[in-house]
Amino acid sequence: MANVSVAAEWQLVYNRYYRKPELYQMRWKHIDLSRNKVACAPFGGPIAVIRDDSKIVQLYAESALRKLRIFNSAGVLISETVWKNPGGRLIGMSWSEDQTLICVVQDGTVYRYNIHAELIEPNASMGKECFEENVVECVFWGNGVVCVTEANRYFCMADFATMKVCELARPEVEELPHCVAVIEPKYTMTGSVEVLIGTDAGILMLDEDGVQKVDDTLSQKMAVSPNGNFVACFTHDGRLVVNNTNFSSPVIDESCESALPPEQIAWCGMDSVLLYWNDMLVMVAPQAEPVQYFYDEPLVLIPECDGVRILSNSSMEFLQRVPASTEQIFAIGSTSPAALLYDALDHFDRRSAKADENLRLIRASLPKAVEACIDAAGHEFDISRQRTLLRAASYGQAFCSNFQRDRIQEMCKTLRVLNAARDPEIGIPLSIQQYKSLTASVLIGRLINANCHLLALRISEYLGMNQEVVIMHWACSKITASLAIPDVTLLEILLDKLKLCKGISYAAVAAHADKSGRRKLAAMLVEHEPRSSKQVPLLLSIGEEDTALVKATESGDTDLVYLVIFHIWQKRPALEFFGMIQTRPLACDLFTVYARCYKHEFLKDFFLSTGQLQEVAFLLWKESWELGKNPMASNGSALHGPRIKRIEKAHSLFSETKEHTFESKAAEEHAKLLRIQHELEVSTKQAIFVDSSISDTIRTCIVLGNHRAAMKVKTEFKVSEKRWYWLKVFALATKRDWDALERFSKEKRPPIGYRPFVEACVDADEKGEALKYIPKLVDPRERAEAYARIGMAKEAADAASQAKDGELLGRLKLTFAQNAAASSIFDTLRDRLSFQGVS
Amino acid sequence: MAQIPNLDNAPLNLKSIREQSQRDLVNILKNIRGKKCLVIDPKLSGSLSLIVPTSTLKEYGIELRLLSAEPVQTDCAKVVYFVGPQFISMRFISSHVHDDASKGLQREYFLYFVPRRSVACEKILEEEKVHNLMTIGEYPLYMVPLDEDVLSFELDLAPKEWQVDGDASSLWHIAKAIHKLEFTFGLIPNVRAKGKASVRVAEILNRMQTEEPVSLSDMNIPEINTLVLIDREVDMVTPMCSQLTYEGLVDEFLRINNGSVELDASIMGAQQQDGKKMKVPLNSSDKLFKEIRDLNFEVVVQVLRQKATSMKQDYTEVTTMSQTVSELKDFVKKLNSLPEMTRHINLAQHLSTFTSKPSFLGQLDMEHTIIEAQSYDICFEYIEEMIHKQEPLNKVLRLLILFSVTNSGLPKKQFDYLRRELLHSYGFEHMVTLNNLEKAGLFKKQETKSNWQLVKRALQLVVEDTDTANPNDISYVFSGYAPLSIRLVQNAIRSGWRPMEEILKLLPGPHYETKRGGFSSSPSFDMSQGLSSSIDKVGDGRRSLVLVVFVGGVTFAEISALRFLSAQEGMAYDVIVGTTKIISGNSLAETFSENLG
Repeated sequence: MANVSVAAEWQLVYNRYYRKPELYQMRWKHIDLSRNKVACAPFGGPIAVIRDDSKIVQLYAESALRKLRIFNSAGVLISETVWKNPGGRLIGMSWSEDQTLICVVQDGTVYRYNIHAELIEPNASMGKECFEENVVECVFWGNGVVCVTEANRYFCMADFATMKVCELARPEVEELPHCVAVIEPKYTMTGSVEVLIGTDAGILMLDEDGVQKVDDTLSQKMAVSPNGNFVACFTHDGRLVVNNTNFSSPVIDESCESALPPEQIAWCGMDSVLLYWNDMLVMVAPQAEPVQYFYDEPLVLIPECDGVRILSNSSMEFLQRVPASTEQIFAIGSTSPAALLYDALDHFDRRSAKADENLRLIRASLPKAVEACIDAAGHEFDISRQRTLLRAASYGQAFCSNFQRDRIQEMCKTLRVLNAARDPEIGIPLSIQQYKSLTASVLIGRLINANCHLLALRISEYLGMNQEVVIMHWACSKITASLAIPDVTLLEILLDKLKLCKGISYAAVAAHADKSGRRKLAAMLVEHEPRSSKQVPLLLSIGEEDTALVKATESGDTDLVYLVIFHIWQKRPALEFFGMIQTRPLACDLFTVYARCYKHEFLKDFFLSTGQLQEVAFLLWKESWELGKNPMASNGSALHGPRIKRIEKAHSLFSETKEHTFESKAAEEHAKLLRIQHELEVSTKQAIFVDSSISDTIRTCIVLGNHRAAMKVKTEFKVSEKRWYWLKVFALATKRDWDALERFSKEKRPPIGYRPFVEACVDADEKGEALKYIPKLVDPRERAEAYARIGMAKEAADAASQAKDGELLGRLKLTFAQNAAASSIFDTLRDRLSFQGVS
Repeated sequence: MAQIPNLDNAPLNLKSIREQSQRDLVNILKNIRGKKCLVIDPKLSGSLSLIVPTSTLKEYGIELRLLSAEPVQTDCAKVVYFVGPQFISMRFISSHVHDDASKGLQREYFLYFVPRRSVACEKILEEEKVHNLMTIGEYPLYMVPLDEDVLSFELDLAPKEWQVDGDASSLWHIAKAIHKLEFTFGLIPNVRAKGKASVRVAEILNRMQTEEPVSLSDMNIPEINTLVLIDREVDMVTPMCSQLTYEGLVDEFLRINNGSVELDASIMGAQQQDGKKMKVPLNSSDKLFKEIRDLNFEVVVQVLRQKATSMKQDYTEVTTMSQTVSELKDFVKKLNSLPEMTRHINLAQHLSTFTSKPSFLGQLDMEHTIIEAQSYDICFEYIEEMIHKQEPLNKVLRLLILFSVTNSGLPKKQFDYLRRELLHSYGFEHMVTLNNLEKAGLFKKQETKSNWQLVKRALQLVVEDTDTANPNDISYVFSGYAPLSIRLVQNAIRSGWRPMEEILKLLPGPHYETKRGGFSSSPSFDMSQGLSSSIDKVGDGRRSLVLVVFVGGVTFAEISALRFLSAQEGMAYDVIVGTTKIISGNSLAETFSENLG
């Protein structure tokens, strides 16, 4: 077999192989891990390094000031800063899930740095007790930390996002623990963090509610497995005991050669535990002899979900269990189909016929073999081996009829992304398994945080993901970083990229520009925002009120216009506000609608300032009614004064413009009417006049028999004779004063004929009275209808025939439809008229 | 019978729209746990009753109240308000909260704006210092299906707000509603608008499309082919005429509210005679109503008589002759329609008591005289006399508006004279109404010569010898007058605006026509082929669909006319009507009336 060399590097542990490929030669220089505190983020994250102030070290040609330096996993410097923070010695340092560097110092202050070594304000604190008692140790997990004070009290910050601190139960022992380990909240029953401490009395478990002794083991070093199910303890007598978290069934109990506790202890995946003493790394796994690796330089173990990264001064290695597919292909003497397929490719490349022979051997299991090659390629860090494996897969696939073809494509895609991220300049050595649990979008997030926007953009484009996040972040970073670039130039640079992404929020970028103190740039950017609902509020916040008003109006969204109106109203003096809206009809109208309902006085000011006197007059007039509606005003004459005054004021305002003479006259008359009505109420002692119309007032007077008053109102308001006749006739009919009605009809020839008299009598159902007037009607058609209305068919028919109106006859016939005799009269008449039937 | 119309036969899946609204509402109510008192804006309660039956609401542990100035009387600790964006509602709510506080009542308040939150309303709540006591949300009900082919945006105040106050909120609302339809049914490729407000709606709609695009690729063929927007302002003549279709007449005399009419139970032949009211639902779920709603009332009476006779005949046959089982079955099937028959016979009988009145006939006469526009003085005197007789103000205003609009205003002297007589007869408080009508251009001083004659002739609005029984033209709905609005729609659908630009110029407001989406970027190019070409594209036997939106309301008679059009042979399209509200001349005149007192 051709690939003996690959498996030669593997280490057999019981029935499994482990391998330890080198990921990088570290690019950094003069970094000695033993002199420094080091924090390495999982998932191939950055490495923070700072001189350890708890150790006495020799300073070479360097400043006494300490520097915090942040490298990527390949040792390329990302950023650095001088550490000048007060609060005493740096106790603990670790990366949170969102790649913020958390540093806890002696007095409990928590400093946070981003990947660019910029301090994130504000600093947090672990609390007063920590300040007083000093922190001596901290244990981190994904997104939280537990601090131990000198007084052996335990404080927990469970989430760096909220930064809330709570104290855990006190273990009631004086001396500090030998070791501390944390079970993450997501793995505990209670959902809050549980802390294991190794004391002289055994292992105690603390949480917020209490302390519990869980085991007698005297532990010197502990580590909780990545899934929170197991705890590895190094005991005082030099054994490594791995137990479940209930401490009920040990899986490993292995004696080690040293009774000295290891410097570091770490889980390698779920299968084995690594112990590190100075220059020796031991891997312990169940049912297997411990494996030893020797190093002549200090190490830092970085646990990952599928292995451990081993960082030394000079290199970064990845210790992992050899994946099953890789093992199938490369294990020495393997005759698995995958291995044969891989071999077949080799033969094929060498033009050997054995290739075909191999293929024939594995015909049945070819798809599986292809699958294994693809999978193994994914697990490789070495690019040329990836390529070979994929070629083997593709070669095999050619002979498979029903293999899912996109599997190879998909793997190529993934590997391209991984290889790009693994490039030493980027320095994110993700394994495929890590990548899958991290997800592509988080990777992109990390890349843009590290300002690798171009790569992030390419990846998201390549994977068909939304590029908005990347471009948005880029634009904001660009603005922050480009203080020296003039607005116009920067705008062009930004627009050039922003247009790549449809639907991106220009308003958000503009808001950032505004926050960065570049208001002008913000104004130019927001111009490009298509969504008015985002654009307008931002324009307001950058003080572009006029533009905001224009944009809001254009959008047609009145709610936005109101938003702008209220904003300006609040910020500007009244006159300035009036001036701004006056020229804009929609704003003006909307303001008026609102103010009409809610700010009467202010509205009057507005109308006065814009010279719309008639509108003020209408408002006053309206107020006069509101006064009238007030029940206090209805009988008290005192209030008629202010009512009338308002109407008169309205009258004089109307009269100031030529166009409103009608309104002016009406207001004048109204005031006069109110006065007269008031007098009438006083004289008749009946509160029935005020607020009725002129016509109603006349009718009321006549009904009351007060003809003189009626006459007075008539002359006062120049009521026409026509109207007067209608009113008086109806009023007399209401009174059923038929004699008076007849007298009235004879006063003189009525100006509108006798129709009102007929109608009044018919409406009152007084046939006899009606008959007095019907013959006096001049128009035969009217006469016909009047007869019809009182049911006199014959007379109606005669009148109609006199009018020679066939249509009328038809209609009258309908009216008399029930009455057969009457109906026939109409038919004969109509026939006689020989009109076309129009029903 | 359910009041909520059955939408199974709708040409568009309106059911999905209604179901979405139902879900939204139920979710809101479910999320407020425990017993609660639901206080609804009276205007809204009608729309909601077309979404969810009241009985369903009660299942969620809800006490129902209508919003008014009076404080809410309830034992519930949670009060949930559903209101439209009206300022007056805010004042009511604020006063309720203050009232509760003064009584020491601890309540939790929820305020849901329909269809969306409003800055101005919330400003009032802030000023009243109750804003922070409320949990505020929104219920995005932009439209309510009234029937299989009618959608209402429920904006009854829209004409007044827009034409008098200049408040364009309703236009945004309409555009939003149409845009929401587009999200469900695809981008509407052809848009034609006539009138200022309509064109503005079209503009806002285009803007919404750029802001929040309906993507073209997701959809197949858009379900709605053409959108026609017509401004009420363009045709104020039609709503002022008395509708003569069955449904229109019911609305004129009895008022249809949210698809049902309320009547004395005795009219409908109920036993108890105690003046009890009953609600009669009127929608297409009622098969008979669907058949006769759009007919001229004269014909309806005949149809009902025929049906009754044939029923009687069938009955005698059944009782006298031996029948086969299948014949009996048919008879029983017919019997099922008996309650519907009775209902409409009762209703028609009740209606005819109004239609036979001389005053009604006189009014019809006058309407036609005004439309004919030949005898100015007769019309003027008729209206003058109505005022002198103090006939109901609404009736007067209807004729007055009709008169003024057809004459494009009245000479100043007569204008002032009629206004004065009006104020004298009905009171000075109607000054604001007059002012509103003037601002809206409905009753105004004459400034230009009227082109009503030209329009009338060009569009053949007055049709002689209309056969109401077998109509061949939409003029049957007004017995001789073809509604202007529908004539415009008819032309817009048939051939677009292009061939009739000269006529459009005679009517108020601009017109607009465009093709949207990837169909063609050049607006109004090959419009001469108009819809017919796009129908060919559909090609699979499906009828294409036209959404006709009336900005400012539509009458039942106009809807009937549209249904008539789409039922004509050779018309390969269905029509869906969208409207701010169903209106009649009375309701429209009321919208503009504003009592000072």
